Amino acid sequence: MHRLGGVGLAAFDRQQQSHRSFAELSSELSKAQVDHLQIQLTQFRSALTHFATTHREHIKKDPAFRHAFQRMCVSIGVDPLAGPRKGGWWAEMLGIGDWQYELGVQIVDVCVSTRERNGGIIEMSELVRMVSKLRGVESGVITEDDVVRSIKTLEPLGAGYEVINVGNGRKMVRSVVKELDEDQAIVLAEAALEGGVIVEGTLERKRGWTRERARAALENMLLRDGLCWVDEQDPVHGRSYWVPSAMRWEE
Amino acid sequence: MALSSFTTPSGFLLPSIHSAPPFFTEQPNPRTQAQFTAQWTRLILTYARHRKLFMLRVEDAEVAGGDWDEILRNERINRRILPSHLSSLLDTMVASEQAAFEPPKQSRAAIIYWRTPEEWADALHAWAVATGQLNTILTFYEIADPPVPSPLSGIPIPLLRRAVTFLVKSNRAQIISVADGEGVRLFAAK
Repeated sequence: MHRLGGVGLAAFDRQQQSHRSFAELSSELSKAQVDHLQIQLTQFRSALTHFATTHREHIKKDPAFRHAFQRMCVSIGVDPLAGPRKGGWWAEMLGIGDWQYELGVQIVDVCVSTRERNGGIIEMSELVRMVSKLRGVESGVITEDDVVRSIKTLEPLGAGYEVINVGNGRKMVRSVVKELDEDQAIVLAEAALEGGVIVEGTLERKRGWTRERARAALENMLLRDGLCWVDEQDPVHGRSYWVPSAMRWEE
Repeated sequence: MALSSFTTPSGFLLPSIHSAPPFFTEQPNPRTQAQFTAQWTRLILTYARHRKLFMLRVEDAEVAGGDWDEILRNERINRRILPSHLSSLLDTMVASEQAAFEPPKQSRAAIIYWRTPEEWADALHAWAVATGQLNTILTFYEIADPPVPSPLSGIPIPLLRRAVTFLVKSNRAQIISVADGEGVRLFAAK
Protein backbone atom coordinates (compact mmCIF):
# COMPACT_ATOMS: atom_id res chain seq x y z
CA MET A 1 0.00 0.00 0.00
CA HIS A 2 1.19 3.46 -0.93
CA ARG A 3 0.70 6.16 1.71
CA LEU A 4 0.00 9.60 0.28
CA GLY A 5 3.16 11.59 0.68
CA GLY A 6 5.07 8.55 1.80
CA VAL A 7 7.32 8.55 4.76
CA GLY A 8 10.69 9.98 5.72
CA LEU A 9 12.55 13.19 4.90
CA ALA A 10 11.51 13.16 1.24
CA ALA A 11 7.87 13.25 2.31
CA PHE A 12 8.56 16.33 4.43
CA ASP A 13 10.03 18.09 1.40
CA ARG A 14 7.07 17.10 -0.75
CA GLN A 15 4.65 18.56 1.83
CA GLN A 16 6.58 21.83 1.91
CA GLN A 17 6.40 21.87 -1.87
CA SER A 18 2.62 21.57 -1.94
CA HIS A 19 2.27 24.33 0.69
CA ARG A 20 4.23 26.62 -1.56
CA SER A 21 2.10 25.71 -4.56
CA PHE A 22 -1.08 26.52 -2.70
CA ALA A 23 0.34 29.82 -1.51
CA GLU A 24 1.27 30.72 -5.07
CA LEU A 25 -2.15 29.84 -6.36
CA SER A 26 -3.80 31.92 -3.68
CA SER A 27 -1.73 35.02 -4.37
CA GLU A 28 -2.39 34.59 -8.07
CA LEU A 29 -6.10 34.55 -7.41
CA SER A 30 -6.07 37.67 -5.29
CA LYS A 31 -3.86 39.40 -7.83
CA ALA A 32 -6.46 38.63 -10.48
CA GLN A 33 -9.14 40.16 -8.29
CA VAL A 34 -7.09 43.29 -7.69
CA ASP A 35 -6.40 43.58 -11.42
CA HIS A 36 -10.09 43.24 -12.12
CA LEU A 37 -10.87 45.96 -9.65
CA GLN A 38 -8.21 48.18 -11.20
CA ILE A 39 -9.76 47.69 -14.61
CA GLN A 40 -13.18 48.61 -13.31
CA LEU A 41 -11.79 51.67 -11.62
CA THR A 42 -10.05 52.74 -14.81
CA GLN A 43 -13.25 52.25 -16.76
CA PHE A 44 -15.23 54.28 -14.25
CA ARG A 45 -12.65 57.02 -14.32
CA SER A 46 -12.56 57.16 -18.10
CA ALA A 47 -16.35 57.15 -18.24
CA LEU A 48 -16.39 60.10 -15.89
CA THR A 49 -13.73 61.91 -17.88
CA HIS A 50 -15.65 61.12 -21.03
CA PHE A 51 -18.81 62.53 -19.50
CA ALA A 52 -16.99 65.66 -18.43
CA THR A 53 -15.45 66.20 -21.86
CA THR A 54 -18.51 65.40 -23.96
CA HIS A 55 -20.72 67.56 -21.81
CA ARG A 56 -18.17 70.30 -21.33
CA GLU A 57 -19.96 72.68 -23.66
CA HIS A 58 -23.27 71.95 -22.05
CA ILE A 59 -21.76 72.39 -18.61
CA LYS A 60 -20.26 75.65 -19.72
CA LYS A 61 -23.40 77.06 -21.30
CA ASP A 62 -26.22 75.86 -19.11
CA PRO A 63 -25.96 77.09 -15.53
CA ALA A 64 -28.67 74.79 -14.25
CA PHE A 65 -26.97 71.75 -15.79
CA ARG A 66 -23.63 72.88 -14.43
CA HIS A 67 -25.10 73.23 -10.99
CA ALA A 68 -26.69 69.77 -11.20
CA PHE A 69 -23.42 68.22 -12.40
CA GLN A 70 -21.48 69.69 -9.52
CA ARG A 71 -24.14 68.59 -7.08
CA MET A 72 -24.00 65.06 -8.45
CA CYS A 73 -20.25 64.98 -8.12
CA VAL A 74 -20.52 65.92 -4.48
CA SER A 75 -23.22 63.43 -3.68
CA ILE A 76 -21.33 60.45 -5.12
CA GLY A 77 -18.11 61.73 -3.66
CA VAL A 78 -15.92 60.92 -6.59
CA ASP A 79 -14.94 63.88 -8.49
CA PRO A 80 -13.81 67.32 -8.44
CA LEU A 81 -15.53 68.87 -5.59
CA ALA A 82 -15.38 66.51 -2.66
CA GLY A 83 -12.98 63.66 -3.39
CA PRO A 84 -12.94 61.20 -0.49
CA ARG A 85 -9.19 61.38 -0.06
CA LYS A 86 -6.55 64.02 -0.39
CA GLY A 87 -4.19 63.80 -3.31
CA GLY A 88 -6.63 61.88 -5.50
CA TRP A 89 -6.68 61.96 -9.23
CA TRP A 90 -8.80 65.08 -9.51
CA ALA A 91 -6.84 66.77 -6.79
CA GLU A 92 -3.67 66.07 -8.78
CA MET A 93 -5.26 67.53 -11.85
CA LEU A 94 -6.60 70.60 -10.17
CA GLY A 95 -4.23 70.98 -7.29
CA ILE A 96 -6.53 71.71 -4.36
CA GLY A 97 -7.87 70.00 -1.30
CA ASP A 98 -11.36 68.99 -0.28
CA TRP A 99 -12.03 72.16 1.64
CA GLN A 100 -11.41 74.24 -1.41
CA TYR A 101 -13.68 72.03 -3.47
CA GLU A 102 -16.51 72.38 -1.04
CA LEU A 103 -16.06 76.10 -0.98
CA GLY A 104 -16.21 75.97 -4.77
CA VAL A 105 -19.52 74.13 -4.66
CA GLN A 106 -20.93 76.66 -2.27
CA ILE A 107 -19.76 79.55 -4.42
CA VAL A 108 -21.52 77.94 -7.36
CA ASP A 109 -24.57 77.44 -5.20
CA VAL A 110 -24.76 81.10 -4.19
CA CYS A 111 -24.02 82.35 -7.70
CA VAL A 112 -26.68 80.15 -9.29
CA SER A 113 -29.35 80.81 -6.71
CA THR A 114 -28.92 84.58 -6.85
CA ARG A 115 -28.52 84.75 -10.62
CA GLU A 116 -32.17 85.52 -11.25
CA ARG A 117 -31.99 88.66 -9.24
CA ASN A 118 -28.51 89.87 -10.12
CA GLY A 119 -28.10 88.76 -13.71
CA GLY A 120 -25.07 86.61 -12.93
CA ILE A 121 -22.85 89.21 -11.33
CA ILE A 122 -22.40 89.36 -7.60
CA GLU A 123 -20.36 91.66 -5.46
CA MET A 124 -17.44 89.93 -3.71
CA SER A 125 -18.35 90.99 -0.19
CA GLU A 126 -21.93 89.85 -0.72
CA LEU A 127 -20.71 86.49 -2.03
CA VAL A 128 -18.38 86.03 0.94
CA ARG A 129 -21.21 86.94 3.30
CA MET A 130 -23.63 84.47 1.73
CA VAL A 131 -21.09 81.65 1.52
CA SER A 132 -20.22 82.17 5.18
CA LYS A 133 -23.91 82.01 6.02
CA LEU A 134 -24.26 78.79 4.02
CA ARG A 135 -21.37 77.21 5.90
CA GLY A 136 -22.65 78.53 9.19
CA VAL A 137 -19.39 80.23 10.05
CA GLU A 138 -18.81 83.70 11.37
CA SER A 139 -17.66 86.44 9.07
CA GLY A 140 -13.92 86.55 8.62
CA VAL A 141 -13.47 82.77 8.57
CA ILE A 142 -13.78 82.82 4.81
CA THR A 143 -11.82 85.50 3.06
CA GLU A 144 -11.94 87.04 -0.37
CA ASP A 145 -8.68 85.29 -1.03
CA ASP A 146 -10.23 81.87 -0.39
CA VAL A 147 -13.02 82.68 -2.79
CA VAL A 148 -10.61 83.90 -5.46
CA ARG A 149 -8.54 80.72 -5.11
CA SER A 150 -11.59 78.48 -5.23
CA ILE A 151 -12.81 80.19 -8.35
CA LYS A 152 -9.38 79.73 -9.93
CA THR A 153 -9.45 76.01 -9.20
CA LEU A 154 -12.86 75.73 -10.83
CA GLU A 155 -11.30 77.00 -14.06
CA PRO A 156 -10.21 73.59 -15.48
CA LEU A 157 -13.82 72.50 -15.28
CA GLY A 158 -14.70 75.22 -17.74
CA ALA A 159 -17.32 76.66 -15.43
CA GLY A 160 -16.60 80.17 -16.67
CA TYR A 161 -16.53 81.87 -13.29
CA GLU A 162 -14.43 84.98 -13.19
CA VAL A 163 -13.38 87.66 -10.73
CA ILE A 164 -13.59 91.17 -12.13
CA ASN A 165 -11.97 94.26 -10.70
CA VAL A 166 -14.31 97.20 -11.06
CA GLY A 167 -11.96 99.77 -9.56
CA ASN A 168 -11.70 101.36 -6.12
CA GLY A 169 -10.54 97.97 -4.87
CA ARG A 170 -14.00 96.51 -5.44
CA LYS A 171 -14.36 93.06 -6.91
CA MET A 172 -17.27 91.29 -8.47
CA VAL A 173 -17.72 87.68 -9.46
CA ARG A 174 -19.27 86.85 -12.78
CA SER A 175 -20.91 83.47 -13.22
CA VAL A 176 -22.35 83.88 -16.70
CA VAL A 177 -20.35 83.28 -19.82
CA LYS A 178 -20.63 86.76 -21.14
CA GLU A 179 -18.07 89.39 -21.92
CA LEU A 180 -18.33 92.45 -19.77
CA ASP A 181 -17.17 95.49 -21.66
CA GLU A 182 -15.24 98.36 -20.13
CA ASP A 183 -18.21 100.70 -19.98
CA GLN A 184 -20.28 98.13 -18.13
CA ALA A 185 -17.50 97.65 -15.59
CA ILE A 186 -17.52 101.40 -14.98
CA VAL A 187 -21.30 101.41 -14.59
CA LEU A 188 -21.03 98.59 -12.05
CA ALA A 189 -18.37 100.49 -10.11
CA GLU A 190 -20.37 103.73 -10.04
CA ALA A 191 -23.59 101.95 -9.10
CA ALA A 192 -21.81 100.17 -6.27
CA LEU A 193 -20.90 103.55 -4.77
CA GLU A 194 -24.54 104.63 -4.75
CA GLY A 195 -26.10 101.51 -3.27
CA GLY A 196 -26.97 100.15 -6.68
CA VAL A 197 -28.70 103.08 -8.35
CA ILE A 198 -27.25 104.83 -11.38
CA VAL A 199 -28.48 107.54 -13.75
CA GLU A 200 -27.08 108.90 -17.00
CA GLY A 201 -26.16 112.18 -15.31
CA THR A 202 -23.80 110.50 -12.85
CA LEU A 203 -21.78 108.98 -15.68
CA GLU A 204 -21.64 112.31 -17.52
CA ARG A 205 -20.58 114.26 -14.45
CA LYS A 206 -18.10 111.86 -12.87
CA ARG A 207 -16.73 110.10 -15.93
CA GLY A 208 -17.09 112.77 -18.59
CA TRP A 209 -19.20 110.53 -20.80
CA THR A 210 -21.54 111.91 -23.39
CA ARG A 211 -25.24 111.38 -22.72
CA GLU A 212 -25.44 109.00 -25.70
CA ARG A 213 -22.64 106.83 -24.40
CA ALA A 214 -24.21 106.66 -20.96
CA ARG A 215 -27.61 105.83 -22.36
CA ALA A 216 -26.23 103.15 -24.69
CA ALA A 217 -24.30 101.46 -21.89
CA LEU A 218 -27.28 101.49 -19.53
CA GLU A 219 -29.87 100.42 -22.08
CA ASN A 220 -27.63 97.55 -23.23
CA MET A 221 -27.28 96.34 -19.68
CA LEU A 222 -31.03 96.63 -19.24
CA LEU A 223 -32.34 95.15 -22.47
CA ARG A 224 -29.62 92.92 -23.83
CA ASP A 225 -27.94 91.54 -20.72
CA GLY A 226 -30.56 91.80 -17.99
CA LEU A 227 -27.88 93.15 -15.66
CA CYS A 228 -29.95 96.03 -14.39
CA TRP A 229 -33.54 97.08 -13.76
CA VAL A 230 -35.29 100.32 -14.65
CA ASP A 231 -37.28 102.52 -12.29
CA GLU A 232 -39.61 104.90 -14.13
CA GLN A 233 -40.98 106.53 -10.98
CA ASP A 234 -37.79 108.21 -9.80
CA PRO A 235 -39.05 111.56 -8.47
CA VAL A 236 -35.74 113.33 -9.22
CA HIS A 237 -34.41 111.79 -12.42
CA GLY A 238 -37.58 110.31 -13.86
CA ARG A 239 -35.74 107.23 -15.10
CA SER A 240 -33.05 105.55 -13.08
CA TYR A 241 -31.30 102.23 -13.37
CA TRP A 242 -30.72 99.74 -10.58
CA VAL A 243 -27.92 97.20 -10.63
CA PRO A 244 -29.10 94.32 -8.42
CA SER A 245 -25.57 92.98 -7.92
CA ALA A 246 -24.60 96.31 -6.37
CA MET A 247 -27.69 96.63 -4.21
CA ARG A 248 -27.51 95.76 -0.53
CA TRP A 249 -29.94 92.96 0.24
CA GLU A 250 -30.89 92.00 3.71
CA GLU A 251 -32.33 88.54 3.79
CA MET B 1 -29.17 101.86 1.58
CA ALA B 2 -30.14 98.34 2.48
CA LEU B 3 -33.19 96.63 1.06
CA SER B 4 -34.91 94.81 3.83
CA SER B 5 -38.15 93.03 4.50
CA PHE B 6 -40.88 94.95 6.32
CA THR B 7 -43.85 94.00 8.45
CA THR B 8 -47.01 95.92 7.56
CA PRO B 9 -49.57 97.18 10.10
CA SER B 10 -51.75 94.16 9.25
CA GLY B 11 -48.86 91.88 10.25
CA PHE B 12 -47.84 90.81 6.75
CA LEU B 13 -44.12 90.34 6.08
CA LEU B 14 -43.18 92.05 2.82
CA PRO B 15 -40.15 90.54 1.05
CA SER B 16 -37.07 92.75 0.57
CA ILE B 17 -37.75 93.06 -3.18
CA HIS B 18 -40.80 95.14 -2.24
CA SER B 19 -38.49 97.91 -1.04
CA ALA B 20 -36.62 98.02 -4.38
CA PRO B 21 -37.98 100.92 -6.48
CA PRO B 22 -37.69 99.15 -9.87
CA PHE B 23 -39.99 96.40 -8.62
CA PHE B 24 -42.84 98.86 -9.27
CA THR B 25 -41.92 99.41 -12.93
CA GLU B 26 -42.82 96.95 -15.66
CA GLN B 27 -39.43 95.78 -16.96
CA PRO B 28 -38.66 95.93 -20.68
CA ASN B 29 -36.38 92.87 -20.49
CA PRO B 30 -38.72 89.86 -20.79
CA ARG B 31 -36.57 87.61 -18.62
CA THR B 32 -36.41 90.19 -15.85
CA GLN B 33 -40.13 90.84 -16.12
CA ALA B 34 -40.89 87.11 -15.92
CA GLN B 35 -38.95 87.04 -12.68
CA PHE B 36 -40.78 90.10 -11.33
CA THR B 37 -44.13 88.67 -12.40
CA ALA B 38 -43.42 85.46 -10.48
CA GLN B 39 -42.58 87.52 -7.39
CA TRP B 40 -45.65 89.72 -7.74
CA THR B 41 -47.89 86.69 -8.21
CA ARG B 42 -46.53 85.04 -5.09
CA LEU B 43 -46.94 88.30 -3.20
CA ILE B 44 -50.56 88.76 -4.32
CA LEU B 45 -51.48 85.16 -3.44
CA THR B 46 -49.86 85.19 0.00
CA TYR B 47 -51.29 88.61 0.84
CA ALA B 48 -54.77 87.56 -0.28
CA ARG B 49 -54.48 84.49 1.96
CA HIS B 50 -53.25 86.61 4.85
CA ARG B 51 -56.12 89.09 4.61
CA LYS B 52 -58.67 86.64 3.17
CA LEU B 53 -59.20 88.92 0.20
CA PHE B 54 -61.00 87.48 -2.79
CA MET B 55 -61.26 90.24 -5.39
CA LEU B 56 -58.47 92.22 -6.99
CA ARG B 57 -59.38 95.04 -9.36
CA VAL B 58 -57.26 97.18 -11.66
CA GLU B 59 -58.81 100.18 -9.95
CA ASP B 60 -57.11 99.08 -6.71
CA ALA B 61 -53.95 100.40 -8.36
CA GLU B 62 -55.68 103.60 -9.47
CA VAL B 63 -57.07 104.88 -6.19
CA ALA B 64 -55.54 104.68 -2.76
CA GLY B 65 -57.47 103.55 0.28
CA GLY B 66 -58.36 100.01 -0.84
CA ASP B 67 -57.65 96.67 0.77
CA TRP B 68 -54.55 96.08 -1.33
CA ASP B 69 -52.62 99.28 -0.57
CA GLU B 70 -50.06 97.52 1.62
CA ILE B 71 -48.66 95.60 -1.33
CA LEU B 72 -49.63 97.72 -4.33
CA ARG B 73 -48.00 100.79 -2.80
CA ASN B 74 -44.84 101.45 -0.88
CA GLU B 75 -45.08 104.84 0.80
CA ARG B 76 -41.62 104.44 2.35
CA ILE B 77 -40.00 104.69 -1.08
CA ASN B 78 -42.88 106.57 -2.71
CA ARG B 79 -43.64 103.96 -5.37
CA ARG B 80 -46.81 102.23 -6.53
CA ILE B 81 -47.71 99.69 -9.14
CA LEU B 82 -49.30 101.25 -12.21
CA PRO B 83 -52.74 100.08 -13.39
CA SER B 84 -51.39 98.79 -16.71
CA HIS B 85 -48.78 96.72 -14.85
CA LEU B 86 -51.40 95.27 -12.49
CA SER B 87 -53.62 94.53 -15.47
CA SER B 88 -50.91 92.44 -17.14
CA LEU B 89 -50.24 90.65 -13.85
CA LEU B 90 -53.93 89.73 -13.67
CA ASP B 91 -53.77 88.42 -17.26
CA THR B 92 -50.82 86.21 -16.34
CA MET B 93 -52.49 84.92 -13.19
CA VAL B 94 -55.70 84.09 -15.05
CA ALA B 95 -53.72 82.35 -17.80
CA SER B 96 -52.01 80.15 -15.20
CA GLU B 97 -55.29 79.50 -13.34
CA GLN B 98 -54.24 81.33 -10.21
CA ALA B 99 -57.16 83.71 -10.70
CA ALA B 100 -60.35 84.00 -12.75
CA PHE B 101 -61.91 87.11 -14.23
CA GLU B 102 -65.16 87.93 -12.48
CA PRO B 103 -67.52 88.74 -14.02
CA PRO B 104 -66.25 86.85 -17.06
CA LYS B 105 -65.57 88.56 -20.39
CA GLN B 106 -63.76 91.54 -18.91
CA SER B 107 -60.27 91.88 -17.54
CA ARG B 108 -60.38 94.56 -14.88
CA ALA B 109 -61.40 92.44 -11.90
CA ALA B 110 -60.60 88.90 -10.88
CA ILE B 111 -61.13 86.39 -8.10
CA ILE B 112 -57.75 85.47 -6.66
CA TYR B 113 -57.34 81.74 -6.18
CA TRP B 114 -55.31 81.67 -2.98
CA ARG B 115 -57.03 78.34 -2.69
CA THR B 116 -57.95 76.47 -5.86
CA PRO B 117 -61.63 75.64 -6.45
CA GLU B 118 -60.75 71.98 -5.66
CA GLU B 119 -59.29 73.04 -2.32
CA TRP B 120 -62.40 75.12 -1.61
CA ALA B 121 -64.52 72.07 -2.42
CA ASP B 122 -62.65 70.05 0.20
CA ALA B 123 -62.90 72.91 2.70
CA LEU B 124 -66.65 73.16 2.13
CA HIS B 125 -67.14 69.44 2.58
CA ALA B 126 -64.99 69.35 5.70
CA TRP B 127 -66.93 72.27 7.16
CA ALA B 128 -70.30 70.57 6.49
CA VAL B 129 -69.04 67.39 8.14
CA ALA B 130 -67.62 69.23 11.15
CA THR B 131 -70.79 71.24 11.74
CA GLY B 132 -73.19 68.34 11.14
CA GLN B 133 -74.83 69.80 8.06
CA LEU B 134 -74.62 66.80 5.77
CA ASN B 135 -77.85 65.84 3.98
CA THR B 136 -79.54 69.16 4.73
CA ILE B 137 -80.19 71.78 2.12
CA LEU B 138 -77.92 74.81 2.40
CA THR B 139 -78.35 77.90 0.28
CA PHE B 140 -75.24 79.44 -1.25
CA TYR B 141 -75.84 82.52 0.86
CA GLU B 142 -75.93 80.47 4.07
CA ILE B 143 -72.55 79.03 3.12
CA ALA B 144 -70.96 82.34 2.11
CA ASP B 145 -72.38 84.26 5.06
CA PRO B 146 -72.97 81.82 7.91
CA PRO B 147 -74.17 83.01 11.34
CA VAL B 148 -71.05 81.47 12.91
CA PRO B 149 -67.93 82.54 10.95
CA SER B 150 -66.45 79.64 8.98
CA PRO B 151 -63.44 79.12 6.73
CA LEU B 152 -65.81 79.90 3.86
CA SER B 153 -67.11 83.21 5.17
CA GLY B 154 -67.02 85.78 2.41
CA ILE B 155 -66.39 83.36 -0.46
CA PRO B 156 -67.72 84.86 -3.71
CA ILE B 157 -70.72 82.95 -5.08
CA PRO B 158 -69.09 82.21 -8.48
CA LEU B 159 -66.12 80.59 -6.72
CA LEU B 160 -68.47 78.67 -4.41
CA ARG B 161 -70.39 77.44 -7.46
CA ARG B 162 -67.17 76.12 -9.01
CA ALA B 163 -66.26 74.37 -5.77
CA VAL B 164 -69.69 72.76 -5.57
CA THR B 165 -69.31 71.56 -9.16
CA PHE B 166 -66.27 69.56 -8.07
CA LEU B 167 -68.26 67.99 -5.24
CA VAL B 168 -71.09 67.10 -7.62
CA LYS B 169 -68.61 65.40 -9.94
CA SER B 170 -67.32 63.25 -7.09
CA ASN B 171 -70.87 62.42 -5.89
CA ARG B 172 -70.47 64.39 -2.70
CA ALA B 173 -73.10 67.04 -3.48
CA GLN B 174 -76.30 67.72 -5.35
CA ILE B 175 -77.39 71.15 -6.58
CA ILE B 176 -80.93 72.05 -5.64
CA SER B 177 -83.04 75.01 -6.71
CA VAL B 178 -84.46 76.84 -3.76
CA ALA B 179 -86.83 79.78 -3.52
CA ASP B 180 -84.19 82.48 -3.13
CA GLY B 181 -81.54 81.16 -5.50
CA GLU B 182 -79.30 78.15 -5.45
CA GLY B 183 -78.79 75.55 -2.78
CA VAL B 184 -76.80 72.44 -2.28
CA ARG B 185 -77.14 69.20 -0.37
CA LEU B 186 -73.87 67.62 0.75
CA PHE B 187 -73.34 63.91 1.27
CA ALA B 188 -70.75 61.91 3.12
CA ALA B 189 -67.88 60.79 0.91
CA LYS B 190 -68.60 57.41 -0.63
